Amino acid sequence: MKILIIEDEIELLLTISNYLIKENYICELAENLRKADEKLSIYEYDVILLDINLPDGNGLELLKTIKKHQIKSGVIIISAKNSLDDKINGLDLGADDYITKPFQLSELNSRIKAVLRRRQFDGTNILKFNEISLNTDSKSITVKGKEITFTKKEYELLLFFLINKNRVLTKEAIAEHLWGDNIDLADNFDFIYTHLNNIRKKIKKAGGTDYIKTIYGMGYKFTE
Amino acid sequence: MMKFLTKINRNYFILLTLILLLSSFGGYFIVQAIIVNETKESLLKKEVLIINQIRETGEIPTIYPIVEVKKIHRKTIEKPLFKKIHIKDELEDELEPFLEYSNKVKINDSYYLIKLRQSTFENKDLIIVLALTLFVLLSSAFGISFFISKKMNKTIWSDFEHNLQEIENFNLKENKNIYLLKSDIEEFNRLNKVIKNLTKKLKTDYLSLKEFTENASHEIQTPLSIVLLNLEEVLQQDLTKEIFKKIVSSINAIKRLSTLNQSLILLTKIENRQFIADKTISFNDLVKRKLQEFASLVETKKLNVEFHIEQDFVLKMNDQLAELLVNNLLSNAINHNIKGGKIQISIKKKTIKICNTGKTNSLTDETIFNRFASGNLKSYGLGLAIVKNICETHDLEIHYLKNEFHCFTINPKF
Repeated sequence: MKILIIEDEIELLLTISNYLIKENYICELAENLRKADEKLSIYEYDVILLDINLPDGNGLELLKTIKKHQIKSGVIIISAKNSLDDKINGLDLGADDYITKPFQLSELNSRIKAVLRRRQFDGTNILKFNEISLNTDSKSITVKGKEITFTKKEYELLLFFLINKNRVLTKEAIAEHLWGDNIDLADNFDFIYTHLNNIRKKIKKAGGTDYIKTIYGMGYKFTE
Repeated sequence: MMKFLTKINRNYFILLTLILLLSSFGGYFIVQAIIVNETKESLLKKEVLIINQIRETGEIPTIYPIVEVKKIHRKTIEKPLFKKIHIKDELEDELEPFLEYSNKVKINDSYYLIKLRQSTFENKDLIIVLALTLFVLLSSAFGISFFISKKMNKTIWSDFEHNLQEIENFNLKENKNIYLLKSDIEEFNRLNKVIKNLTKKLKTDYLSLKEFTENASHEIQTPLSIVLLNLEEVLQQDLTKEIFKKIVSSINAIKRLSTLNQSLILLTKIENRQFIADKTISFNDLVKRKLQEFASLVETKKLNVEFHIEQDFVLKMNDQLAELLVNNLLSNAINHNIKGGKIQISIKKKTIKICNTGKTNSLTDETIFNRFASGNLKSYGLGLAIVKNICETHDLEIHYLKNEFHCFTINPKF
């Protein structure tokens, strides 16, 4: 999967690209509109991460060109301003998603995967981890070939884990992913715990392994 | 409230009416006094003539009721006396007013009682005519001057009226300068100068604050992102419990800082009135949509939501702020609720009421909307401050009432 990251803050650009390279994406970087324009005229990308505030112009302008010439690319807008205007304009202009700074890498990865799934770039809609497999089309989960019924939140939580496997996820990051920014985070930790226990129980009952490791009571990691 | 000109004209009118009435009445009494005096003088003159006639001819003239002379035997000489009397008119069979002069005089060693009378009936008519003339003259003079001053005021104040309109239409968000008409009246020019300086100052303040909020947002969020991403990467290493804990708490602090920064900037933007109220918002639709967005949270907390609409609450306001208003109130009702609690929402033509069950707190209507006033340690206490600010900039009132439920009621100020 090829990703173009357009972001003027070099350090941020490098941190994001290092992470995405580790996650087996091919990354190209552009720190301003001019460079991004150059790259876009030569290569095709599966996903474009687009910062709106760029030193030589507004990212939304570039979004118009992208949508004209690279219809297949998925676009995720990155904005420092939690401005609904930018969000609505961006989505109107054809962006697939919108993420506000500061964001966490696990969340960014989850959004990129969602865009790829929606655009069917992955070729497959099945996420596999040993005996567990999750179908994003039918939103179904099978363990050792046996289908298990999950609630919506349990499904979302397992999907988040599968996308961010081998990564430590804090409770806060999980709560934010499941319920959005509007919640009193601490209040919802109990709910996460309940959902997690249900997932563990259901997988074990089907003869699967519990891959969810608790880390010092503050985070979780889905790993062998 | 009335217009300046109306006020001036009204005062002017009241004053003129008073002067007019007073001078008409005054005129009436003055003229009456003069005429009575004249009548008395003419009666005294007649007396002299009659006395002379009696003295020279010995004839006693009598013309009833004007002249009545009687011989009397009394020797006392009393003072002459004027008296108002009524005498029956034989022809018209009515009582008529007369001024009577009576005197006892000694002529050629005889005593006479002389009574002279003059009808004052005609006098009364004269007085009324005179007073009326005065009234008509004065009122037409006043009327004309009133009309002229009104016209004059209108032309004098027309520039002012124009400038006032210009000021009313002045909008900081439009990059337009205020244009005021010059006047040949010193006070108006002074006022114009003051207004021009004020708007100039307002504009620079508005723009610098706007620029600050825009910069502050971008310039602060970007380094925060770098810190957050780096900490998240560090978190992936093999860490001891102690370090892990420190990093998680740092991550949470950074997020908190970022939320605070965004909320404070938002408050500043609302106070700076950077949002244009250009959309007609149906709160019915908005609340319905927001409830859908919050459905998973509501479900998780097993809350029972009652939504009652009597009539839609429609308001012209900024769509982002309307969304934020409902968002913050609903998330407040959810976050401060108890598991299995209730939320009651009712919308009427001029009221939105959102009530929720929840734990008791020490906050009141006065304190709950304050910045950083928070019922529990985990929330930042800015959500309701933002709600209050949005209400204030849209001429809405919001009140908090605590009984069995925690209730927030919004209604228009007027």
